[in-house]
Amino acid sequence: MLLRPIALAALSAALAAPALHAAEPTRADAEKDTVLKAMLTELDRSMAKLQLKDFQKPFFIQYRVEDVDDFETRAGFGASQGASRGQARIVHVTVLVGDYKTDSSSPRGDGASQLAAQDDDPIALRSSLWAATDQAYKAALAAYAQKQAQLKQVQTPPQADDLSREKAIISLAAPAELALDAASQSAWEARVARWSGLYRTDASVHALIPDIQYSSAVFHARVVTSRLVTSEGTIVRKSETGYQESFGVGTQAADGMRLDRSNSSVGVTAADLEAPEAFEKHAVAMITSLGELKKAPLVEEEYHGPVLLSADAAADTLYRLLGSAVLATRPRLGTEARTNGAFASSYHARVLPDFLDAVDDPTLASFDGKHLLGAYSVDDEGVPAQAVELVKDGKLENYLIGRQPVRDFPQSNGHGRASISGPAHPALGVLKVTAKDGLSDDELQKKLLGLAKDRELKNVYYVETLGGTAPRLLYRIGTDGKRELVRGASLGDLDLRALRSSVEAAGSKLWTANYAGDIPSTVLAPALLVDDVTLKRANEKNDKLPFYPAPE
Amino acid sequence: MDSPFFDQTKSSARRIRSRKIGVASLLLAAASVASAQQSILLDAMSTELNRAYTALGHQTSDAKQLPPYFLSYSVADADMVMIRAQYGALAGSSSNRARTVDVQVRVGKPELDNTHGDHRSSAVTSLLLPLTDDRQAIARTLWQATNRGYGEAVDNYLRVQTEAQVRAKEEDTSPDFSTEKPQVAVGAVAPRVKIDRAAWEERVRAASRIFREFPDVYQNMVIFTAQNETDYFVSSEGSRVVTPHLQARLVILAMTRAEDGMDMFRDQTFEAETADGLPSQAEVEAAARTLGKSLEALRKAPVTEPFNGPAILSGRAAAVFFHEVLGHRLEGQRQRGDEEGQTFTKQIGQEILPPFLSVSDDPTEERFGKTWLSGNYTYDDEGEKAQRVALIDNGVLKTFLMSRLPIASFAASNGHGRAQSGRMPTGRQGNLIVTSTKTESDDALRKQLIDEAKKQGKPYGLYFEDISSGFAVTQRNSPQAFQVIPLVVWRVYVDGRPDELVRGVSIVGTPLAAMKRIVATGDKPEVFNGECGAESGTVPVSAVAPAMLMTEIETQRQPQGTQRPPILPIPGVQEAK
Repeated sequence: MLLRPIALAALSAALAAPALHAAEPTRADAEKDTVLKAMLTELDRSMAKLQLKDFQKPFFIQYRVEDVDDFETRAGFGASQGASRGQARIVHVTVLVGDYKTDSSSPRGDGASQLAAQDDDPIALRSSLWAATDQAYKAALAAYAQKQAQLKQVQTPPQADDLSREKAIISLAAPAELALDAASQSAWEARVARWSGLYRTDASVHALIPDIQYSSAVFHARVVTSRLVTSEGTIVRKSETGYQESFGVGTQAADGMRLDRSNSSVGVTAADLEAPEAFEKHAVAMITSLGELKKAPLVEEEYHGPVLLSADAAADTLYRLLGSAVLATRPRLGTEARTNGAFASSYHARVLPDFLDAVDDPTLASFDGKHLLGAYSVDDEGVPAQAVELVKDGKLENYLIGRQPVRDFPQSNGHGRASISGPAHPALGVLKVTAKDGLSDDELQKKLLGLAKDRELKNVYYVETLGGTAPRLLYRIGTDGKRELVRGASLGDLDLRALRSSVEAAGSKLWTANYAGDIPSTVLAPALLVDDVTLKRANEKNDKLPFYPAPE
Repeated sequence: MDSPFFDQTKSSARRIRSRKIGVASLLLAAASVASAQQSILLDAMSTELNRAYTALGHQTSDAKQLPPYFLSYSVADADMVMIRAQYGALAGSSSNRARTVDVQVRVGKPELDNTHGDHRSSAVTSLLLPLTDDRQAIARTLWQATNRGYGEAVDNYLRVQTEAQVRAKEEDTSPDFSTEKPQVAVGAVAPRVKIDRAAWEERVRAASRIFREFPDVYQNMVIFTAQNETDYFVSSEGSRVVTPHLQARLVILAMTRAEDGMDMFRDQTFEAETADGLPSQAEVEAAARTLGKSLEALRKAPVTEPFNGPAILSGRAAAVFFHEVLGHRLEGQRQRGDEEGQTFTKQIGQEILPPFLSVSDDPTEERFGKTWLSGNYTYDDEGEKAQRVALIDNGVLKTFLMSRLPIASFAASNGHGRAQSGRMPTGRQGNLIVTSTKTESDDALRKQLIDEAKKQGKPYGLYFEDISSGFAVTQRNSPQAFQVIPLVVWRVYVDGRPDELVRGVSIVGTPLAAMKRIVATGDKPEVFNGECGAESGTVPVSAVAPAMLMTEIETQRQPQGTQRPPILPIPGVQEAK
């Protein structure tokens, strides 16, 4: 609890939008920052002087410097396994030769990364930038020569330029700090230890003590401050923060089937996380559900029919299916394709039912009073984030794109994002899927039962939560509306085709799913009633039960 | 440039110094013997091990369950501080404490068990253990690991049995596990690492800053680590061993590239039991400066011609050479198995080195002269007591470095079963010590080199001042355990010309043949402390040897990189000059 006020204070600074309302900052403002100043000095030197005799000079250089401050503590079976706090500074350098129409970029992503000194020592920092720049420039010359050769071998010319032209911006947000002092780190260490031991301490789950095969909890907090400068004059400083508490517990059913439950709460600030009491209650509910799952019958061998996905399960499904399909990436040389992936040729075509819309809006910083992890104001190529109407009335009207244009999309829409030390590529920010005339939970359930009656089915199914792509909590619902927990199912035929033509109805309430991956993102989604889904027994290998009983 | 050939002032800068060693370990021993005796961790390990050993295979529910015949828990409780600097500034400073348990389960019989052949590594299961003395949590984690390990063991044993039936008879039919007496030795618990972190950060930073004097050194790294570890070992045979292991290390690494694209690196490491035993800052900075000068000279040095003639290895180079070329081939497990070269397997009792040379491996030595030896330990990672092993006596091969994996010629361990956490122990070196009864002064040895070159009609002999260690090799693209890369090589001319530094030398032919051509040694043994990587992971080692004169060594050009040196000068150069 110690952590809360401290963390909030620092994070409010982090969340403050770049001072757009104030006068736009200048390069002189940026140079007050030692790190930015060193970056600009080395960038200028490289643009002016970097050239291998008889070869082209670079036409574009970008430096990204990321400061990572990371804390993690983990615990198992009620005791801490340790905590670690670490800082690192990483530089990522992009050097392009050629021009905007044809440059040295390749589909693999470009540039060079180096670990850099954490001290704000200009010479040390510039030395890392220098080493990475030298490496990236030499690689760019080789890549450019190779691309020129490849272009001579294809009949169809590239459908778009290699690099978009964007307005240079200067945006300087105050750097955020990881507000975890030694006392709050210890407090988290103790808290995760307690959570991982709830199976021992909570009286309501005592009966399960002998069955618990693992019980672990983790707290992880990270701040990344990135600084970006380009030879076009863009200067950006921004911070992203992420906090995550998670709990996982598992056992086996009598037939050996592994039963796992986990809960995690993710936020931009520590205040976004579930309060400790609520998280603890949730964790106990997870343990309790293991007891229920152990007793639950196996799902029927095979089922085809309507399945109601909770908003939680729908968010995971949309993330998995739409998440990669809406990204515009440059196609192979020599093809007329617009982009790659499932929606490569779907521009203006129907991809969802006509009552669903999807927009990706990274500027949506909070929803339902909670900060969204996928929100940002400037992307990792220095382009301001934009709301992109991806799907309107069920039709695909746009893609998420960075600075590598594709046919009909010559500009970035502020979705070029990078994982730490990696090159930027298009990625989800905050994907919001909404339904016109969305239904309440009751109405959805009624509709589900209606479908059962129409099809003369004995029962239908409700997926409450997924673990990966398999249901973790799956309920069989009789025609009388009675729910029964079942286990051991896998989901089939829940694909893009099902999303396009098999969604019968959607909910009105949106669930917030934050994904704290390499590139944080958020999906806001309603429950989905899908008409024709396959459920069948997973039939995975069931490991032997423990060979001897647990201690005590 | 002057040759540093046998120049005492220069080589002393590289020599490892250690001070104040005894004090810390004495204090430690007095303070914490009691705490290990009463260790909740050790007690929980014993209790849970006994429970598992008696329960497994004896559950009434499954009559066909095989009981394990051996079970061990090995816990490494390590506290570590690591500080890194590059280009004269701090690049990382972190501390970490972790307890890792390795559970080893053996089913079947010592004659044939689940570890046979390629299955050896499958017998170890590792998990993180709680750091607190929470008996319940420790026990449950051990249960979790044992369960998993037992399942693996049974599975692998079935496969071993099947393979044994379909395969032709093996050449070496030794059992898979030796019979040993249980060991009980509950020693001190290592204290947490206590250092002045800010002061060390500044020292590491300052050492790295030295390279700003050398603009052609395009990359450098200075790494300080201090690790205090306590190792706990209990087994179903009744062993209970607790031993502390303390080590502080400072590594300086620098790289350059010649105009023709050849990459060159130098490294210097300092080891001591604790951080206050490491050399003074002045010595460290002098060492960094020596590396910087050496690389600036090396990048301008001429590329060597293929050469076949006499050479001297410096003590340090000879130590690395013996460790890599001879030491690894004397590891017990290399004498058995189809994949192994088995160079020495059938040469017990035969002369494999000139009769004036003897080689032993003695982990029980804490020091050689004043230098702390990083390969020292009191019990190995199979809970066996460390022993001095006389490997080669007056040139004659006597034995191998044995873990509990028997081989045709030797059935028992000699206390050399070593591994890093998570790996299955195998026979490894500790402190490899080469001694000679035919020693000569540096000057006499040099004269003999020149005479030998003249005799062979060569214009020069070679002096190998430094060859890369296992540590440095890991920095390369293709790490090979036995590869030795000469780093600093001089031509010693017969006509009295000054010695000439050359680069790009690679030793070819069979290095073992070169060893037989050792005709004399120096009289000042040098210590090489380092880390050695092999199948059972990275373990700290030392090697000690005097300089060696060989009548013939064959070299060729080293394969080199083709990347040009950096186009622009390193930042800070124009500003500084």
